[in-house]
Amino acid sequence: MSWLSRIANAFRSSDVDRGLDDEMAFHIESRIADLVAAGMTRDAAEALARRQFGNRLRLREESRDIKLLPWLDSLVRDVRLGARMLRKNGPVTAAAILSLSLALGACMAAFSLVDALILRPLPVHQPERLIYLTFPGTNPDLPENDVFSDPAFVRLRDAGRGRVDLFAMAYPSRPRVTFDVASGERETVRTQFVTGNAFELLGVGPTVGRLLTMQDDERQAAHPVAVLSHAFWRQRFGGDPGIVGRWFVMHGTKDDRQFQIVGVTEARFSGVEPGYSTDVWIPYAMQDPSTFGNSGYRALRVIGRLNENVAAEQVHGVLQAAFTNFRHEDVANNFGPDPPADRVANFINTPLRVRSAATGVSPLRARFQRPLWVLSAIAALMLLIAGSNVANLFLARIAARQDEMSLRLSLGAGRGRLIQQLLIESGIVAGAACLVGVVLAMVAAPAVVSLLKSTDDPVLLDLRIDWPFVAFIGGMTVLCSALLGLAPALRASNVEPMTALKANRGRTSARARTMRPFVVIQVAFSLIVLFVGGLLVKSFVRLSSVSPGFATSDVLLVSWEAVQHVERNQQHAALLQVLDRLRDLPGVAAVSAAEGNVLGRFGYNIPVPGTARETIEANLSRVTPGFFETMKIPLVAGRTFTRGDFELERPTVVIVNQSFAKRYFGDQPAVGRRFDLRWGGPRAPHEVVGVVADARYDLHKPPVPTIYVLIPLNGHDTLHVRVTGEATTIAARLREEVRATTPLLRVTSITSQSSMLDRTVVRERLLALLAGFFALVGLVLTAVGVYGTLSYTVVQRTREIGIRIALGARAVAAVRSVLADTTGATLIGVAFGLAGGLYASRFVTTLLFEAAPLDVSSLALPLGVLLLAALVAAAAPAWRAARVDPVIALRNE
Amino acid sequence: MTTRPDTLQGSLPLLVLTLLHRRGPLHGYAITSHIHDLSDALRIEEGSLYPSLHRMEEAGWIKARTITTEHNRRARAYDITAAGRRQLGVEEAKWRSVTDAVNHVLKHA
Repeated sequence: MSWLSRIANAFRSSDVDRGLDDEMAFHIESRIADLVAAGMTRDAAEALARRQFGNRLRLREESRDIKLLPWLDSLVRDVRLGARMLRKNGPVTAAAILSLSLALGACMAAFSLVDALILRPLPVHQPERLIYLTFPGTNPDLPENDVFSDPAFVRLRDAGRGRVDLFAMAYPSRPRVTFDVASGERETVRTQFVTGNAFELLGVGPTVGRLLTMQDDERQAAHPVAVLSHAFWRQRFGGDPGIVGRWFVMHGTKDDRQFQIVGVTEARFSGVEPGYSTDVWIPYAMQDPSTFGNSGYRALRVIGRLNENVAAEQVHGVLQAAFTNFRHEDVANNFGPDPPADRVANFINTPLRVRSAATGVSPLRARFQRPLWVLSAIAALMLLIAGSNVANLFLARIAARQDEMSLRLSLGAGRGRLIQQLLIESGIVAGAACLVGVVLAMVAAPAVVSLLKSTDDPVLLDLRIDWPFVAFIGGMTVLCSALLGLAPALRASNVEPMTALKANRGRTSARARTMRPFVVIQVAFSLIVLFVGGLLVKSFVRLSSVSPGFATSDVLLVSWEAVQHVERNQQHAALLQVLDRLRDLPGVAAVSAAEGNVLGRFGYNIPVPGTARETIEANLSRVTPGFFETMKIPLVAGRTFTRGDFELERPTVVIVNQSFAKRYFGDQPAVGRRFDLRWGGPRAPHEVVGVVADARYDLHKPPVPTIYVLIPLNGHDTLHVRVTGEATTIAARLREEVRATTPLLRVTSITSQSSMLDRTVVRERLLALLAGFFALVGLVLTAVGVYGTLSYTVVQRTREIGIRIALGARAVAAVRSVLADTTGATLIGVAFGLAGGLYASRFVTTLLFEAAPLDVSSLALPLGVLLLAALVAAAAPAWRAARVDPVIALRNE
Repeated sequence: MTTRPDTLQGSLPLLVLTLLHRRGPLHGYAITSHIHDLSDALRIEEGSLYPSLHRMEEAGWIKARTITTEHNRRARAYDITAAGRRQLGVEEAKWRSVTDAVNHVLKHA
């Protein structure tokens, strides 16, 4: 038993030991006091008292064994018995563990994602005192805007002084840099401009070297220093402390600049944005000089640390006043002459919001917070479904073990011991399921993250196993054990020792009835998951079937960079050469270029002729000749761009899409019409030479009015190549050809148009995939639950059915009596499920695309599927009930 | 003369249960003191009372609770339970049968 003592020591010995020590100390002190009172000296009294008491250590050991061993002994015996009982029912146990672990794994994966993206505080000093500023955005996808211009930041910073220390962190950029000048190799690093006080205010220190200070942020363009993040330092330089003092080159569109590395941040810090880590920080003063004082260039997040004893509400007033004042003065920069008064008023009175930055600032969170909560809720429902299912299995098993229980009770076992026994069994199942669940979660959570990212948009969520996660798992295990074990345990503890032994088939219907709530729970939750999952799947299918209006799968997007800085027209000429060379390649159908790789990113307001105050919003897409042919966007009227248009100094011909033509010119033909347009130069009349069909790059939205103009090729554009053969082999060929054509350019990445398009539906795909999967699993579990309950009922009532049939009842009546209970429970579950599903759908409506919750098909389909599954599950037990042979049934008695 | 602890050990439950039954809740030191006061012969190694008390506690014959003494110190006081009273009867019967048997042998040997 010595190993048991050792375990006991590990578990709860300290409390016991303290109690024993106190008790003995009290005894000895009392004895000393009495001896001293009787006239003995204190020293002599102490010596005598101790001698008379005996060996305290040995006595304590003895007492501890007396106190701990029975408890441990019964625990070990219960665990052994439990394991044996579970093994005896191998398949049932395995099924229970499997279904539970699936649900638990889903819950844990969801939790680790929620923890990483939403809950975890920034690893900085007192993160709860950090705030950041936002204002309502105009884009419905981003209801909150957190980008400010330099002059706005300066005004806010000055206004907050004394209450809040504001600093700026620019939106991260991804420039190309060369660390090793000898090889000249370029790589992309995530870079962020920060004001000099940022690190100090965040409370982040260096690992080596120093971080940025206000001295690095005094004069524009005068501080070519940089700080690396710890993670980047480890990954790129192997944690070499000699990196401090080294220089590197950052390649810009205009020039190359040198920076010196002065330090590395401490390990825990990699930026303020969960999901995206920053590699390199550079002083604010080193930004493009044109950004300073320019209210039109917005790229800054304004973050701040509240001073001691200042609440966020207290700083709002002064910041709002400063913001309103600033916007008041900034009207002229944002509106043309004689602007509409209501829009100006809206602009000036934009409310400023002070948000907590305790958990960081994250556009990823803004996009995925709701989907993640939805998935978490679904995972929780799954857990309830799986839990009820297993609880049902347990109940059935308890009923089968009624004899064992009543025998043990009759032999004098305490009810407490019986309950402990059953809770231990459910604890074993829950614990095993938890272990499997952790493994599943560790596979599933990174897989979900990888669904979120793409090659040029890495998402790095830190899905570590930390205390909150461990606590969550522990809580889940305890919750599951309680959920699974409690109902059976209470049920078992109600066993009457005598009656159970005497007539062990007496109270059958009562037993089946205890299983009924679980059927209700399973049906209800499974219907909710089916309903919501169905909506999400339907939404995704609808979205995927939207035709973008252009070729996708066979169009490759080729990004490039300038190897050296040359005159603009030289670059333009080089690109033209490349386009011509690629066009002639075998396997290439058409080639062109366009700014960026997404149509219509640029909003533009165009005044309607005759009414200077009315404007419509249009997108301006900058392309080269051949764009429509490459993208297979059909021409509806007029002509497309020609090489001749392109060679003009300032082309003033435009092509518009049908939405624009309809909106702007109504039913009148658009070709040949003119309107004023200002882009990249003074306002000038432009002539419409063609109308093309609508195309959309964001599948969620209807096509937007679009104006296509010609661009000189200049570094912001992407080559679009439509191929006819195998895309991957041609992609490699394209790199070669570009290298062979010109020494000025280099291909950086090649992706396909379809993968770009896929990125716009990432959220919907993720939700549809996971919710659909869970809906399916939930359905199977519910079917198993219904089957189990019915099978059990049939077994329990075989004798009764036999008697009925023997007395002349028809088989149908027997079946009906068996089904009645479960059917009732199913219908109650359906009612709850429908109500719950309609309620739950309110939380997903903003995530849906053309799928309405109150649609007949949205409701009928999950309901039909569920009832069908229940019917299938009920078929076999019902068949068995109908086939009960009264002779056999009664002979068994 | 001091009785060797091991011969006394077997009769400790009887002594303790009797004391608790007649005098109400007592802490360990009080139990020892009472035994000593009543009989100099029964001087035991004092500490060995405690494992015995804890064994009886585990068996459910006595129940401990924390009390505060008149000197304002916290101590564990033990009280006899219903099961303990039943056990007291058993122990008394056992003791009587043993002493009767021993006496019988002494008288008639």
